[in-house]
Amino acid sequence: MNFLLNTGRTIAQGSTVERKNSTKYCEEASAVSMNPVDMFELMVEQGDRVRVKSRAGEVVMWVRPDPGLVRGKVFVCLGPYANHLVGPETHGTGMPDFKSTPVSIEPTDDPVPSVAMLMRECGGVPYED
Amino acid sequence: MKIEDVVCPFCGCLCDDLVVEVEGTRVVNVENGCTLANEKFMGDHRLKAPIRRAGNGWEAVSYDEAIEETAAILLDADRPLLYGWSGTYGEAQSVGVHLAELLGAVIDNTSTVCHGPSIMAIQEVGHPGCTLGQVKNRADVVVYWAANPIEAHPRHMSRYTTFCDGFFVKSAFRERKVVVVDVRETDSSQVADEFVKVNPGGDYAVLSALRAIVRGKRDLIPPSVEGVSREQLFRVADLCMSAKFGAIFFGVGLTMAQGKNKNIRNAIELTEELNRHTKFTISPMRGHWNVYGSNEVFTWITGYPYAVDFARGIAFYNPGETTSVDILRRGECDACLVVASDPGAHFPRACAEHLARIPTVQIDPHVNATTHLSRIQIPVAVTGIDAEGTAYRMDGVPIRTRRLFYGNYPDDLEVLEKIYRIVREARG
Repeated sequence: MNFLLNTGRTIAQGSTVERKNSTKYCEEASAVSMNPVDMFELMVEQGDRVRVKSRAGEVVMWVRPDPGLVRGKVFVCLGPYANHLVGPETHGTGMPDFKSTPVSIEPTDDPVPSVAMLMRECGGVPYED
Repeated sequence: MKIEDVVCPFCGCLCDDLVVEVEGTRVVNVENGCTLANEKFMGDHRLKAPIRRAGNGWEAVSYDEAIEETAAILLDADRPLLYGWSGTYGEAQSVGVHLAELLGAVIDNTSTVCHGPSIMAIQEVGHPGCTLGQVKNRADVVVYWAANPIEAHPRHMSRYTTFCDGFFVKSAFRERKVVVVDVRETDSSQVADEFVKVNPGGDYAVLSALRAIVRGKRDLIPPSVEGVSREQLFRVADLCMSAKFGAIFFGVGLTMAQGKNKNIRNAIELTEELNRHTKFTISPMRGHWNVYGSNEVFTWITGYPYAVDFARGIAFYNPGETTSVDILRRGECDACLVVASDPGAHFPRACAEHLARIPTVQIDPHVNATTHLSRIQIPVAVTGIDAEGTAYRMDGVPIRTRRLFYGNYPDDLEVLEKIYRIVREARG
């Protein structure tokens, strides 16, 4: 199913932002919030894993319901998971399209990667503290 | 030991009424702080010593070795990028700008991915802003546009707007009307007197419709504008025009959405229209602690607030060209010094990939996503906890932060000055 991805701050993300190797940060940053009716159509329940794809990349996340979102829109807090999907084009402003990335979402059994694993995909070397 | 009037080093509110209890080199209690402040002060997850990438692993190195290697990387680069700066204080930012000039580097701060477009709009049409104290004491209408203060600036509403009584607003909860405009329902929209739900990317049209109404052109408004009914638009415009003093606060929902700087320009021009009827102000909700200070410091020294390119020997500024995301996207820089921020987490993947390809050095107290992309990380003291310096609140008020204890880490200024001295000596 196709969606429009929005990103932004959440208080749980802000609370764990200085512990990016932690499970708590990973849980918050890898959560994709979705209208419950869209979840029903996608045949996923809270906590189920989904593969989210955009033109820029793809990443596995987990789903949670948010009735405050209109159908067809999903929300992920700002962070490395959302930014695996956001393209780098800035249209001459310096600012990427953090609020409007078209994505497709499908259920998957693959695991949600850690932040260190995501950075390894980018060419980095994981540091475990 | 209890220390009063402590300044919070997390978000742009710089709340300065915290009471922090310290035992030795550890914070054991925080009073008056929000969740974000508590986590910031009580957090004990710092990188213990400088680290350097060694093959597919990491090794500890001394501060002197890490600093010398950082200077060598910067000296060896043709087009270094110095990025971040919002989590540190003005005195350290100042050394960063001088280092960039010496290197002929690009220096950019985190406003490039938050309120950079707001600055572009302000450069076009000006900024009718005010201090948060004015809002607290005078505003009877507050509009949060594309902002979610309850999650991003948790005490903004209780210190300055919805839940805070002021000199001329004796009972804020009853007398102050709050409008929230957003593309989704949030905790902030639930406490609003009026929630305006806009279609994604529809802010520019809604701002234009409000401008038309304020100009007296109600008959031009169609039944619905980007998901907002004409009746609601009339109601919001009437509420704003009948205010004694109104304040708009806008978030990155406007700067990052379709239209970007033009959304902000339209919002500022709506404010201008409203000032034909009453007193109205507009201010960005600056997020990353001292990001406003980085704009100030960069501007004092270079004339430009962010994305400053010294490659020509003079300061040059052109958002879209000299901004970090564009430089990384083009694979242009051949070394990067990251100070007090985390582009690995907050830049698009393509930028993170380039940071991993080039020698990237990070100066930051904590392990973050950029750590994994770096060749060296140098841990430093946390400004506002074990380092002190000047920071700017989101409304442009400078506040001196306090050192709560003397820890074992050098601060940003000390490390940057050492790098600067080595570079200056090498460059003659």
